[in-house]
Parts: sequence; C-alpha cells; structure tokens
Amino acid sequence: MEKHHNSVTRTPLNSVVVQRRSKSKSYRLSYRSCLGAASRLGLTPALTARRLNTSRRAPKPHNITEKVDAEQLTLLVKTEWQLSYVTPLYQFRHTQLKSYSRQLSAFIAAEKQQGMAVEVEGPQKTFRVSFSLVQGLTESDDDAETVLVQIYSKPLFARQDEPQKPVWSGWLTCINGNPEYLGSLPKDFICLPLFGSSGAEGLTTLVKSWFQQSFDCCFGPLEISHTSLQWLMALWTNCHNEYSIQHLKMIWTLPAVPPLQVTYTVNSEDAWELWGSVRKGNRGGGGGGGGGEEAEEESSIDIEEVRRFMQGLQSHFYRHFRLDLSAGSLNQVSTALGSAKYSGRIKISNSRYMITTLTLLTECALLKMPI
Amino acid sequence: MAAKLNLSGPPDSDTSSPNDQSVSSRSSNRSLRVADKARRKNEAEDPFVLALKYFSDVEAGTPVYGNDDVERNMVLVEKVAYSKGLSPEAISIMLEFAMSLRMGTILCPRVLKCLIPAAVVPQEAVVRAFVWLGVGKIPVSTQILFIKWVLTVFDMIDAKDQLRAIYGFIFSFVTEENLCPFICHLLYLLTRKESVRVFRVRKLLELQSKLGRQPFLLNLLSLYKVFCPDLVTLSIPSRIKSVFRNHNMPWRSALIAVQKRDGSQAASSISPASTIKDKTNPRKRKHCHLVLPALCSVVNKEAQTEPSSSRKVVPLVQLHSFAQLLENMHRIELPAQMGSLLGSSLALQYLDCVQDESALLRLNFWLGYALHEEFLFCGDGGASQNSEEALQFLNKLLSTQHFLQEGFSSSEAFLYKFLNVWDGSLLRPQILGLLSNIPVIPSSQIRRLLFEPLMQLFFTSSLFFKCGLMECLNNMLLKWLTWHSVYALEDDLDISLNSHTSINMTLSGFKDSVMELVDFVGRLASVGLQLEGCHSLLLSFILDFYETVCDTFLKYGLPLVVIPPTGVFYPALFASDPVSVDRLAYIMYRYKVNLTSAKSQETEQAFHISRQTFREFNHYAVVMVNCLWNSKMFQPGMGIQPGEELLLKSNVPQYWMSFDLIHHPAFMSYAVDFHQKCWPGRKDMDLNSIKHSKPWSWYLEYLFSQGYDGLKQFVQSNISRQKAAGDGQGNSLST
Repeated sequence: MEKHHNSVTRTPLNSVVVQRRSKSKSYRLSYRSCLGAASRLGLTPALTARRLNTSRRAPKPHNITEKVDAEQLTLLVKTEWQLSYVTPLYQFRHTQLKSYSRQLSAFIAAEKQQGMAVEVEGPQKTFRVSFSLVQGLTESDDDAETVLVQIYSKPLFARQDEPQKPVWSGWLTCINGNPEYLGSLPKDFICLPLFGSSGAEGLTTLVKSWFQQSFDCCFGPLEISHTSLQWLMALWTNCHNEYSIQHLKMIWTLPAVPPLQVTYTVNSEDAWELWGSVRKGNRGGGGGGGGGEEAEEESSIDIEEVRRFMQGLQSHFYRHFRLDLSAGSLNQVSTALGSAKYSGRIKISNSRYMITTLTLLTECALLKMPI
Repeated sequence: MAAKLNLSGPPDSDTSSPNDQSVSSRSSNRSLRVADKARRKNEAEDPFVLALKYFSDVEAGTPVYGNDDVERNMVLVEKVAYSKGLSPEAISIMLEFAMSLRMGTILCPRVLKCLIPAAVVPQEAVVRAFVWLGVGKIPVSTQILFIKWVLTVFDMIDAKDQLRAIYGFIFSFVTEENLCPFICHLLYLLTRKESVRVFRVRKLLELQSKLGRQPFLLNLLSLYKVFCPDLVTLSIPSRIKSVFRNHNMPWRSALIAVQKRDGSQAASSISPASTIKDKTNPRKRKHCHLVLPALCSVVNKEAQTEPSSSRKVVPLVQLHSFAQLLENMHRIELPAQMGSLLGSSLALQYLDCVQDESALLRLNFWLGYALHEEFLFCGDGGASQNSEEALQFLNKLLSTQHFLQEGFSSSEAFLYKFLNVWDGSLLRPQILGLLSNIPVIPSSQIRRLLFEPLMQLFFTSSLFFKCGLMECLNNMLLKWLTWHSVYALEDDLDISLNSHTSINMTLSGFKDSVMELVDFVGRLASVGLQLEGCHSLLLSFILDFYETVCDTFLKYGLPLVVIPPTGVFYPALFASDPVSVDRLAYIMYRYKVNLTSAKSQETEQAFHISRQTFREFNHYAVVMVNCLWNSKMFQPGMGIQPGEELLLKSNVPQYWMSFDLIHHPAFMSYAVDFHQKCWPGRKDMDLNSIKHSKPWSWYLEYLFSQGYDGLKQFVQSNISRQKAAGDGQGNSLST
C-alpha cells in the first residue's frame, strides 16, 4: 500500500539529535525543540506516523552457532523471554561489565535487606551477578554488542558446598537497528533497545531499577502487536522449505459474550502452500523479469503478501466455521521455530532464524522510543 | 602525657612549655595573655577575668570539696555564661580546664553545661578537647556530653579545617558503643568526599552487623554513598526515619536566650544538619513512570571523561541552598538520573544553566518516556485511573516550563502525537498549557502537526474548550513573538535567526509561521463565532488574540500586520455588549498606530507591508466610522450591502442609523441614560436629539467617562471633528 514510504516512515528518528551534535553552544530553545532544522523537511513524518517497515528481507538461515558461544546460545534459545523496550543507555561501557556485576549484586543485596548498607566491592553471599558479552550476535556495524545478565543464587536451605544456581537471566540487544537513529545519538549513549528477561518478577524490577539509576534509561513494556505477530507468522512460514515449522498455530480472541478463544492450527504443508500462492500471486504478473531482479524480489517480503496470507487463513476458517476471525484479535502464534504472544513474551526455538526475529523486535522497540 | 606534664607545672609560669604544645594553641595562649594584659589595665581586675585566670592557672589536683574559690569562680563564670555567653577565650580556658580534668571529673559536666558561646567557638579549643578525649580518663557520660556540645555549637565553630584534618582520629571513636551515635552525627557534619575510604566503609559495615539497622549508621553510610556510590550502596526503607536525633537539649534554651539578647549574630545551630528526606513515599502502583526519580550521584565515575574527574566535583544532592549552588556552579556534578532535577527547585535553577546536550537528551528521554507511557501506550485507560497523579505530574512539568520559559522537546513531540487522540477534555488546562509552550513550527509543518488535529478538536468541542484553545493560541503567539523580539534585537532584522539559534529559521520563515498561525486562528474564530452564536465569552478570547496581533510591529518588532477577517470584525462591531465594541475600537486604533509607524520606517528598513493590508484596514476603519459615527449603515461600497427591498421588508425605521453610537444595541442604554440626565424634564424620549452638535459632544464625553478608552482613542485618532461635531466626518485614510 505505501511501499514507497517505508524508508521514511519507519524511522523513529528525530534528527534534531544529529544537529545537536554539531553545535556546541546554542540557544536553549533549539535543543529543546523537537523539530530540528534538518528534520523539518523529510523526517518529521516520524513524529506522527511512525510504523513498521512495510517490507523486509526474507529470513535466511544464519550460522549463528559458529559465531556465538554455545552455552549462551542454548540459554537464549531454550527460554521464553518477557520483552521490554529501553531508552538509550547513558555512559554504558562494554568494558566495565565486571564492575557492573559487582555493583548490581551489591544493589540487589542492599534492596533485599532494606536498611542495611552493603559494600560494593565485597563478595555477596546471597546473589551473584554476572554480566557477559554475547559476541557474534550483531548484524550491522551500528549495532551495539548484546549484553547478557545472569543472576545466581543459592537456595535458602542449601548445603554449604552446593553451587549457586542461575535464578534470573536477561539480555539487552540491538539487531539491525535503524542506522539513522543509532547514528543520531551522541557518543555517550549506547542504544540497546530490546530487553528480554526471564526469572522472578522481583529480580526483574531490581535489575531494571539498577539500570535506570546507573544509565539514566527507562524501561517500558513491549507488546508484540497484531501486525508484528502476522509478520512473525509469515517470516516463520517462509522458512518451511529449509526447516520444517511442523505446524502453524494461532490463538485468537473473539469479542463475544463470553469471550471466545479460538485455537487455529494449520498443517505446515498447507501453510507453506498458502504462503507460496500469495507469494506467487504477487509476482505472477511481472513474471519473466531479469534473473537478478527476481532473486532480489524473492528475498524480500511485502506487507501485502503478509496480509493476503492472513486473509487466506481467515477465509479458510470462515468457510468451515462461519466465524470471521478478522473481527477478533490475534493473541499468540507459534511454530516449531518459536512462539510469540501479544503480551510481549517470545520464545525463539531455533537459533538459525533468531536474527530475523530479533530484527523485527528491535524495530518494534525502536518505534517505542519517546524521541 | 605531654599535656599532663605541662599542667603540673607552676600555675603562674608559662602555661605552655615550647616542646609540649601545638603551635596553634601556643600562639592562641600567647594572644590570650596579651589580651589579658590589655584588659587588666582597662577593666581594673574584673572579677570575671580573675575567675577565668583562676581556671586557667589552677593547679592540677586541687581539691574541689570545701574549696570556696572554685565555687565562687564557677558561679561567676556561670552567671556570665547564662546572661551574655562566653567569649572565645573564655570558652578555650573553660573547655581546657574541664577536659584536662585538672580538678577531677566532678566539675567537668558542670563546666560543659555552661559553655554557651557568645559568638564563636575557637576551633583550636575543640581540637584540643578531642585530644583530651583520647587521653581517656573522662567518664563516658561526660564524653557524650562533650560531643553533644560540639554538635550543638557546630555551626559556631570558627573554622572546620583542623577538625576535618583529625577526621580519622574522631572516626576512631565510633567503635565505642555509647559514643557511636553522636560520633556518627559529628562525622556526618564533617565528611567530605576525600574522607570516604574503603576501610572506613568496612568499619561501619562491621558495626552495622554488630548493632543492626541503626539510623545513625545508615545516615552516615548514605552520605558515604552520596560521595562514593562505587564503594557502598544501600536502600533506606521509608519507615526508618533518617534524621539524627536532637542532641542539643541541655544548651538549647540558654543558647537561644543568649542569641536573642545579642540580636543573634551567630548563625543558629539549633536545627541539626541532617539528611533531608521530605519525600513522601508514593503509594505503590503498577505503573510508576510518573514518579520523579530521586537525586542520586553518579556511580560509574571512572567511566567519565578525564577533566571532570580531575576537578573536584560537587554532587547536586549535597547542595541545599542557592548560595551553595552559586558557589559551586562551575563544578556541579549532574545527578545519575536527569529526571530528578524536576523534583527540586534548587536543581531547576541549575537546569537553566545546563549546556550539556547529553544531559538534556537524558532528561528528554525520561520525560518523553513518562508522557508516552502515561498517555499514549497505556491501553487500559491508565490515564483516567490515576488522573490525580497525572495532574500533579503535568502541573510540575508546566511550572518547570514556566520557570525555564520554554518547553521541552520531548513534551513537544509528545503533544504532536497526543493531539490526534486527545478528547479535548482530559486534563485540558494542563495540555493546553503545554501546547502554548511549543516553539515556532515551520510553516510547512504547522498544518499537519498542529492545525489539523486542533481543528477537529475545536469544532467538536464545547464553548469552553474553544475559549481555552483561543487563550492557548494567544499565549503561543505571545511566546513566539517574545522569542523573536529577544533575538531580533541582537541581529539586524534582515539576518536570519540562525546565527544565534539552531532553529534554522530565517526571518521570513518565522513570519510565515506567525502568519499561518494568525490566519488559522482567524478561520477558527470566524467559524467558532458562528457556531456559538457570537458568544461574548468566546468573542472576548478572540479579541484577546487580536490585541496581540495588532501590536506585532511596535511591541515585538516584527514587520507583519495581519488584519482580522470579516468573520471576527463584524461580530465584534455588532456585539451587544459595549466592552467588545470598545475593545474592537482599541484594536483598530493600535492597528492604525502600527501601520503608520511601519509606513514611516518602511524605506529605511527593508521590509514591506502589503498595500492589501492597508486597504483592508482602511475599509474596516471606514465601516466603523460610518457605522458608529456617521449613521451611514449599508452604504454602497461597504462590506455589507443587503438589497434595498430586503432592508425595507425588515421594517426597521431609519435602518442606516441603527448602529450608530446612539442606536447601537451595545450603547442604547447609555444613550437613554444620557438623554434622561440631559433633559430630565422631557416626557417623550427622542434619542435623535443627541445627534445635535452640542449634546453629541457631551454624549461622547459621557461615554468616554464610562471607561471606554478604546473608543476614545479610536475616535481621537480617526475622526477629526472640524466645525460641527454633529456632522463629524470620517477622516481616516492613511493609505
């Protein structure tokens, strides 16, 4: 529908930042104005009409196993993550992770025993925190390295020699972040907009507030919108010929009284066939184009195709059950490659297509940035 | 030990033998003696001086019981102390006497209790007393009394540098359980960044594990955290009161009395310095994005750039007064979370001077996040749920923006989005207030960002919203014009504003934006007046706006004159209340003054007011004069020209007179009143008789005396009443 727009509309950029950097001293009004001179022309649609990319590259299997540490990868893959977005971190240094580990564990200790001071440098008995880099999990040069945070603890009545067990983990990442946005931030800021956490809610809150106090950032919940869920369905289905998705399962909620929940599972072959038909239909008219062009086109998926795919699935359902799913809302999708919920929980089951999923989620997180 | 030696020496010999005493106390003693000598001459053996001499010279081991001299002298000193307070010298002598235990421990508390300083306490005396404390024969209760005394008079100690130098020595007393609370308080008052060391932190933590959660330890540790958050961290639960107890009871009343008598020249130290924690804990709620973060100092200092770490920086948390702020302006360390600046009025003063772009960006990220989460992302009607909190938050933001006299970019960006989903009633005054703070929008964007959403809201909302929006747009225009007038002063009018501002806007760009805004309001006003039946409240807000518009040239130096549309002019001219007509007259008068002035300057300064503007103005002026003055309504060539037969059909007699100053619905009552006053005897009223030359000028005087200054100025500037006032002529044209 608005394919030609995408490079402009998707950007969450407010390029006043770019401009700020060049001016060391300027009248205050200027840097408090959100319409920098440069942004006055092209980029301000971002202010009111930001939306997801309308076209994206088809997922390619990444040999991520070769680049990323196996243990870290297992953790990333086996867990279901609760997502949040994070505003850029001020003065975050990837070289300081050791010291962050100490600070965070002291912070947790201090918060856990209210009213007791805790020495930062000293060893913490109850909680041990480790910050680590996830090397290799980046796509573009602008992306900051992913950071993994793990918290270990000993159960309350554990034996003395019992090792500490991981009780909480979380990560901050940025995969294929919008280069214009990332480039517009001053050097003091590191943008890792996507935060996933898994573990006790209380620890999540503590970790978030430590980050807030240390790097002056803010955490907000990140839902996976209706459109993003549809995108995920299409992207995952598109992988079927390389890696079997086994099934395509959707959970819909229909606004009936009482609310009606529909679980709709499609056989992977059928889904693939339907996907092929909407893909082919898209290119049918222009068939016989140049080979290179076709390859280019094949590697990109358009929102229209996703929409047609959804319509196909919905009308199939309607034929059988006389129930129009488009009246309801899609809450959850899952395939063998992973599952995603509207509430912002995601599980990526296969590392080969992890990058694609994280790219989409990074984009969602960047859309939530206040400026 | 050395000190003891000295004390056992002969009383009238030198109080100090050169080897024994520190240089400072020796010199102070010498000056004491010099002063003593001088006084001796003048005061001829004042008994109080003698008493002091007794205490400074008394031999160690002199018995107290049965010693009348001691008692007599003690009473003397006490009398002076409680009535006038003790001089610094007297404090030194008495403190030395008490702490050295020259006459044993019995007198010690009594002396301490009467140490009421008249003005200041010499630092040396306190330091020496601490040395005696270390010698260690003083009973614990007396030790406590001494430290309590130091705490009480802390602000009156003339300097603190030596006390800070023995920080480590004082610190060593924390291990004494009974002294610990008071020592902690004293350390709290003395602590500087350089006094916070790892070993001290460890010692305090060790004590903490022994004594448990003691407020005094927590207070000191939280101060350590302020200076060195990389060494120690803690979280203080709200139920623990983090204030040091008031230890100054024994001296309080005496000190107040003495200070009152002296007109209180010394700074009152009655209120103990303590951490200010007036923060009311916000009630627990699911979304806490509207809570202002607390002021905290930065943890990861090593990550910061070199110059700031080499300089001595002062955390903002440590500043408690404007004077301190000014003193440390050049070395203030920004807090860990910029949002916390909004919570403190002192920090706001500083925010005004912050030039660090990253810092402002941090602030904007936080603010934008809070606004977005509260008003845009909260799907579950969160905004209405906690509107009280939202209200307070926005009020805080508004007062901040008023203080800084401009808006934040994140609130601006937020508003552009929010206007599209706003219902026009949620937190209306606050949202409109924020809206009026947005800076100049380039004319190419203004329609989409501002006008389109506002138009929808305006036409679908109540009269009160319309009035509110008019007021808001008027304020917005005022701020834009003020901004321009400040910066236009620095540049020639011709130079684009970007030499001083990074709003890359040329003068003509700025003019375009202002013009767009004025035109937009003109359109809104015209339609709004129709929709609301020319409601006089709305009209009043619209006239407010045009009072700003008509003076753009003279008041704000912007060479732009925009004449109101007919949709505003005629409703105001035909308004049924005289105030509106009067204000219209005033506005027309100001237009004329502005246009005349612009015309005279046009050639020397390169700008141009379009002929069309003059034409429009003249047209309105003619209409007004004809209508109000000449009774020539509906003449050809005027704006309103209904067909002849239509006018006849209306059955209004002499319709051409129906809007002159006598028959105008707004002024009719004045005309009647005037008529009655002028011809009290007349039974039948003939308003037309006012038209005659004499009564007409009286009538005008009468109207002007009712406070219709606008009308007066309009008449005086537009109508030259030559011979016969009754036949006054429209003479307004200044093309």
